[in-house]
Amino acid sequence: MKRLRQFAYSEPATLDEAVAALASGGEDARVLAGGTDLIVDMKTERLPTSAVVNIKKIPGLTGIDDLGEATRIGALTKVTAIEGSQLVQQRHPALVDAASVLASPPVRALATIGGNVGRASPASDLGPALIVSAASARIRGTMGEREELVEGLYVGPGQTSLTCSDIITDFIIPSPPVGFGSGHVKLGKRGGGTDIAMAGTSASVVIEDGVVRDCKIALASLGPIPFRAPTAEAALSGQAPTEETLGAAAEAAAEDASPIGDVRASASYRATLARVLTLRALRAAVASSGGWVVA
Amino acid sequence: MTFRIDTTINGDRTVIDVDPTLTLLEVLREQLLLSGTKEGCGVGECGTCVVLCDGEPIASCLVLAGDAAGCSIETIEGLADSGELSDVQRAFVRTGALQCGFCTPAMVLTATALLREDAAPDAEEVKKALGGILCRCGAYPKILEAVLEVSGEGA
Amino acid sequence: MTTYVGNRVARVDSVDKVTGRAVYGVDVALPGMLHGAVVRSPYPHARIVSIDTSAAERAPGVVAVATGKDFPHLFGAAIKDQPFLAIDRVRYVGDPVVAVAATSEREAQYARDLVRVEYEELPAITDMQMALDDDAPLVHPDLHTYERGGHEIVPHTNINTLYHFERGDVDAAFAEADHVFEAEYSAHALSHVTLEVHVAVAQYDTYSGDYTLWVTTDRPYFLRDDLAGGLGVDGSKIRLKVAQVGGSFGAKGVPIAEAIAVMLARKTSGRPVKVELTREECLIASQLRVPAIMKLKTGVTNEGFMIARSADVLWDSGAYTAYTVGVAIRGSQTIVGPYRIPNVKIRSRQVYTNKAITGSYRGYGTTQVTWACESQMDEIANELGIDPVVFRLQNGYEEGDPYLNGQIMHGVGLRETIETARDEIGWGSVERKPAPHLRRGKGLATMIKPTLTPSSSNVVINLGQDGRVQVVCAAPEVGSGQDTVLAQMAADAVGVPIDVVSVPATDTALTPYNGPVASSRTTYHMGNAIVAAGAEIREKVLGLAADFFGTDADYLEMYDGEIRDENGELLITLKDLLARHQSEGYALTAGGRYSSTGSPLLKANPGEEWISSIFWMLCTQAAEIEVDTETGVIRVIKVAASADVGKAINPMTCEQQVEGGVVMGLSNGLFEDFKIDNGRIENASLVDYKVATIEDMPEIVPILVESVHNEAPFGAKGIGEPAAAATPPAIANALFDAVGIRIRDLPITPEKVLAALAEKAATEPGD
Ligand SMILES: Cc1cc2nc3c(=O)[nH]c(=O)nc-3n(C[C@H](O)[C@H](O)[C@H](O)COP(=O)(O)OP(=O)(O)OC[C@H]3O[C@@H](n4cnc5c(N)ncnc54)[C@H](O)[C@@H]3O)c2cc1C
Repeated sequence: MKRLRQFAYSEPATLDEAVAALASGGEDARVLAGGTDLIVDMKTERLPTSAVVNIKKIPGLTGIDDLGEATRIGALTKVTAIEGSQLVQQRHPALVDAASVLASPPVRALATIGGNVGRASPASDLGPALIVSAASARIRGTMGEREELVEGLYVGPGQTSLTCSDIITDFIIPSPPVGFGSGHVKLGKRGGGTDIAMAGTSASVVIEDGVVRDCKIALASLGPIPFRAPTAEAALSGQAPTEETLGAAAEAAAEDASPIGDVRASASYRATLARVLTLRALRAAVASSGGWVVA
Repeated sequence: MTFRIDTTINGDRTVIDVDPTLTLLEVLREQLLLSGTKEGCGVGECGTCVVLCDGEPIASCLVLAGDAAGCSIETIEGLADSGELSDVQRAFVRTGALQCGFCTPAMVLTATALLREDAAPDAEEVKKALGGILCRCGAYPKILEAVLEVSGEGA
Repeated sequence: MTTYVGNRVARVDSVDKVTGRAVYGVDVALPGMLHGAVVRSPYPHARIVSIDTSAAERAPGVVAVATGKDFPHLFGAAIKDQPFLAIDRVRYVGDPVVAVAATSEREAQYARDLVRVEYEELPAITDMQMALDDDAPLVHPDLHTYERGGHEIVPHTNINTLYHFERGDVDAAFAEADHVFEAEYSAHALSHVTLEVHVAVAQYDTYSGDYTLWVTTDRPYFLRDDLAGGLGVDGSKIRLKVAQVGGSFGAKGVPIAEAIAVMLARKTSGRPVKVELTREECLIASQLRVPAIMKLKTGVTNEGFMIARSADVLWDSGAYTAYTVGVAIRGSQTIVGPYRIPNVKIRSRQVYTNKAITGSYRGYGTTQVTWACESQMDEIANELGIDPVVFRLQNGYEEGDPYLNGQIMHGVGLRETIETARDEIGWGSVERKPAPHLRRGKGLATMIKPTLTPSSSNVVINLGQDGRVQVVCAAPEVGSGQDTVLAQMAADAVGVPIDVVSVPATDTALTPYNGPVASSRTTYHMGNAIVAAGAEIREKVLGLAADFFGTDADYLEMYDGEIRDENGELLITLKDLLARHQSEGYALTAGGRYSSTGSPLLKANPGEEWISSIFWMLCTQAAEIEVDTETGVIRVIKVAASADVGKAINPMTCEQQVEGGVVMGLSNGLFEDFKIDNGRIENASLVDYKVATIEDMPEIVPILVESVHNEAPFGAKGIGEPAAAATPPAIANALFDAVGIRIRDLPITPEKVLAALAEKAATEPGD
C-alpha cells in the first residue's frame, strides 16, 4: 500500500497552540481536520507536507447552533451532522442537499465543513451551497480573529486566501428572510449521487409577492473555484419565477461558467450541465421557498 | 516518535503506543494484527477499509492513528468473537452475499451499523448506506437480499 | 442420485469470509519479511541511458536493489517478449525499471524515490492505428527473434498477431445479399479492479536455489512457467502457494508483483520479500482489457437471414503480449456470434503500442466482439423492420448445428436463453415517457463463447481414516465459488456428506497440474476429474464393505456416508467401516484426470479441429433503461439475464456469476473509461476510474437454462465469463429503442448520448 512519508505530528489543545504550531511549521505545515482531503493529498503527493497539526483535540470547534440572527456551524462539524440537522434543513436547505451528496457515507462521516472550504476544490459541494447561503467564515490566525465571506476565500484551484497559520473556527450563516429557498444539484460520473461533481450548482432565491427579489447562483466544477454566476442572478432578479425566467437564468449561468475539459468531462458537456443543473437547482430553490414554478 | 493512545477495540480497552504518522488501517492490520480489515484503494473511494468508529462506518485508510484515541473501534473480528455468527453474518452466508470476500468485512460492518440505527431499513436505505463500498464481483443483489432479510428482525 | 449437486448449498468459504478470517495475499506475513517498491517509467517509450541506485542503496532499511540487467531473460505466454524489469528500453508509462527491498514498505518507497534514471525519449506509438503506419517506430524491433508459439506475426512491423479465417465465398454472398450493413465499432481498455491489489511474497532458498512464492493467482501452473522464463530457471525450481484471491477476472495470471518479488528475493540472502502494488500501479501497470476496433460487414436476405459476414479486427496488446494473442485469435472468431452464417471471412491483427499491457479479462475477447456483433444485429433488425428477437432466433444456433469449423455443436440452449430473457423483460411493451425529460426503452443481446480447448485437469482425492475427504487440486478459489461446487461434486461422487469434504489451498508442490481457473472451465474440467476419482474411491469403499459383509460390491451403494444394500437397508456408516481399520490405519487415494483432447465432440473440418470447443457458453440479456435527455445519463432499470449453464451444480453460485456479470458489464459499459494522453493514463485512481456501486445496480433477474451436456460432470458447463459480455450491447440496444440513437464506441457516456441526441435533433427536425 502507499505509505505516508514521515512528517511531524502534533495535537494542540488550544487554538493558540495550534496557530503557533502552524506558524512555526512554515509553508508545508497543514491543519488536519477530517483528513479526507489532506491524507489523500499526502498519499498522492499533491502537496508537500512536513508537519500535520491535528486540531480535533481543540474544544469548541464543532456543533450547529441557532444564534437567532444566524446559524453557527463549527469548522470541525462533520458533513453527516449537517446532513442530519433539522435546523440547517429548515434554514439552509442547499447545505443539506450538498452535504447529502458529498462523497460516500464512510467519507462523509469523517469529512468536515472547514476542511471542505480549506481544500478549496473547484468541485466542492459545500462551497457553492455556503456561497448562496451568504455564509462567512470566522478565522483565527497570528493576527487574531476576523470574519470573511466564504465567497471571498477562494482564490484559485486548491487555494484560499488563508495564510498557512490561519484556522477557520466556524461558519456564520445569516438566518434567511421569509420567502427564502435554496437547493444544490450535481452530476457525477456515475450519473448522480455521491461522485465528485462533473458540474454542480447551488441556487437560492428570496421570493416576495411572487417575484424573485434576491437570487444567488454558485457553480462548482465550472471554473477554477466555486464562484457566483452574476449574469444569471441578474437575469432572474425582479422576475416572477416561471419555467421561462428560470430557463433564461440557466442559459445565462452557462455563459457565466468558464469550464475546462479534464478527466471527468469535456468543457462543452460541462457548459450544457451548467444550464441543466442551474435550472434544476433553481427549481429546487423555488420549491423550498414555498413558491412554485409557473410553467 | 510514538504516541500513547487509549482506545477501545472490539469492546476491549486498549492502551497502545502508536506511530502517529501511520493510518488507523495500518495500526489495525500490522500492529494489532486485525487483518480482517482490508485496503482496496487507500484514498477513500472503495470503502474496503471500513471499520466502525463509535458505531459509525468510517474509511480507516484516511484516519491517522492518533484519532483512534477515546473512540470505540469495531472491526470484523469483533462481530463473532464469541464463536457465534451475528445475524448479519448468518444472512450473508445463507443468501450467498459474497464472492471473493474482499469487501465482505466492510459490507457486513456497514450493514450491522445500519441495522443498529434502524431495525427495518428498506431497499433504498440499504443501498444508500452501502453505496460507499465497492464489490467488484457484483454480489450486490444478494448483499441487498441478505440485509433485507435481517431488516425487520432486528440486528 | 445426487444429494448436493443441483442444490443451493451454502458456500464453503463463506464463514471465513464473513468473519474476516480468510487469509488473502495481502495478509501473508513471514518472519524477517522485507518489502518491495518499484521505480516505473514516466515515459511511454524511451531508451534507458543510465540508472543510479547509489542513494537508494544507502537509504535506511534498504537490503537489495534489482535492475533489469540482473535477469536478462524474457517471458510471455505466446511470445517471449517481456523482461521482469526493463532492459535498455521502457515501453509504456509504468514499465518497471528498478526494484528496491527494505525492511519496511515505507522505507522501500522512500528509497525508491531516490533512484535516478536517465532516459532518452523515443517516438511513441500511442494508438493502435498509428502502429500500422508504414513508417511507424517499432515497439519491439526484435520481434522476429523472440521465441514464440505457432501463431503468425509480421516481422519488422508492430503486428504481433495475424490471423485469417475464411469459409464459403463471402464476396459472392455479399453480391447476392439483398442488404449489406457495414459499420465500425470499438471497445475500450478496462481495468479488472480486483479489490485486492496485485501482491506476492517470494523467498529464495540459497542452498537449493528453489523459490517459494505466496501468491494470489487464477493459474498457478501457467504463472509458474512465466516466472521460470523470466528467472531463466526450470519450472520445478518454483513452488507457488496460493492464498485466498481477492478477485481475479483474468487479472491474476501473469507475473506482476510476482516478478518483482522473485527478483528481489534472489538478492536478500533468503529473507522473504513482499511486493504489494498500490491501486495506482494496478491501474497503470498490471494489465487491462484489450481494446479493439472492429469493422463488421453483414449481408442479409429480405427474409432476414444472414448469408455473409466479414470482420476486420484490430487489437491493441499494449507494450507486451502477455495473454493477448489468444484474445486476438479466439475473440475474433466469435465476432460471428451464435449465428448460422454460411460465408464468413475474418482478419484479425494485433499490434504493439507504447501503452499499458493488456491481457485476459473476463470473457477473453468475447466482451469486445459481442459489443460489435450484437450492436450490428440490432441495427440490421431495426433497419429491416424485423423484431430483433425474431431476427436472432431465426439465425441462431440450435443443437446439432455445425460451428464455423464444422464442429457439430452440442449443449446449445441459445433459443431458450433468448426466449426467457425476452419474456422476463416484457418485450414489446414499455412506458416510453415517464417524465418530460425521461425516455425508456428495451434492448436485447446475446453471446457465445468457447472454452479453452484442449485442456486438462487433475485431482487427487484422499479419504482419511477419520472419514474426511480432501479434494486436492490446483484450482484456486478466485471468488466464483468453485471450492463449493467442487466440494458438492466430490461429495456426490464419493457419496459422503459435504461437511467432511474440503478443498485444500493450491500448492504446486502438492496439488497436481491443472489448466487455468479461467475460460469458465473449472466446473466442467475439474468436475470431470473429480467424478472419475470420486467413483474410484466409492468403489474401493464399497469393496471394503463387501469384504466385510461377505457380499458383492455390486449390491452395495453409498450416499451421504451411509452404505446400504440393494434394498436401501443401512448396513454401516463409512465412519464405522473405517473405524474397523483403526489399529492398522487406513487411507484411500484416487487420482482423476480429465482432458478434452481426443473427445469425439471436437471433430471438425480437417485442420480446423483446434477451433472446436468442448462446450459452448451462451447467454442472453434483455435490459430496460431510462435516459435523461437533458443530461444524457442512462439509468438501467432492469436486466433479465439468461444463461445456459448446462446444469446448475449450485443455482446460488450460478446466480452469483450471472448477477455479478451484469453488474460488471454495466459498469464496463457505462462508467469505466481511461483518459489516456500520449500513452499516459491520467485517471489512475478509483476516484476517476468509476466502478458501479450497489446504488447503480438495476433489478437483475438471473435465469438459468439447463441444456445438459453429455460429456459434462452432471451435465454442467461453465458460466463465469459469459454473463458480463451481453450487458453493454443490451443497454446500447435499449438506448436505440428509447431515443433512436446508436453509440458504436464504448463506453456509453452521458456526453456521447447527449451529443448523439443533438445530432439526431439537427438531422431530423420536428422529431
Ligand atoms: C472518496 C472521496 C470522495 C469525495 N467526494 C467529495 C464530493 O463529492 N464533494 C466534495 O465537496 N468533496 C468530496 N471529497 C473531499 C472531502 O471529503 C471534502 O472536501 C471534505 O469536506 C474535507 O474535509 P476534511 O475535514 O476531511 O478536510 P481535511 O482533509 O482535514 O483538510 C482539507 C484541507 O483543508 C485544510 N483545513 C482543514 N480544516 C481547516 C480549518 N478549520 N481551517 C483551515 N484550514 C483547514 C487542511 O489543511 C487541508 O488542506 C471527497 C473525498 C474523498 C476521499
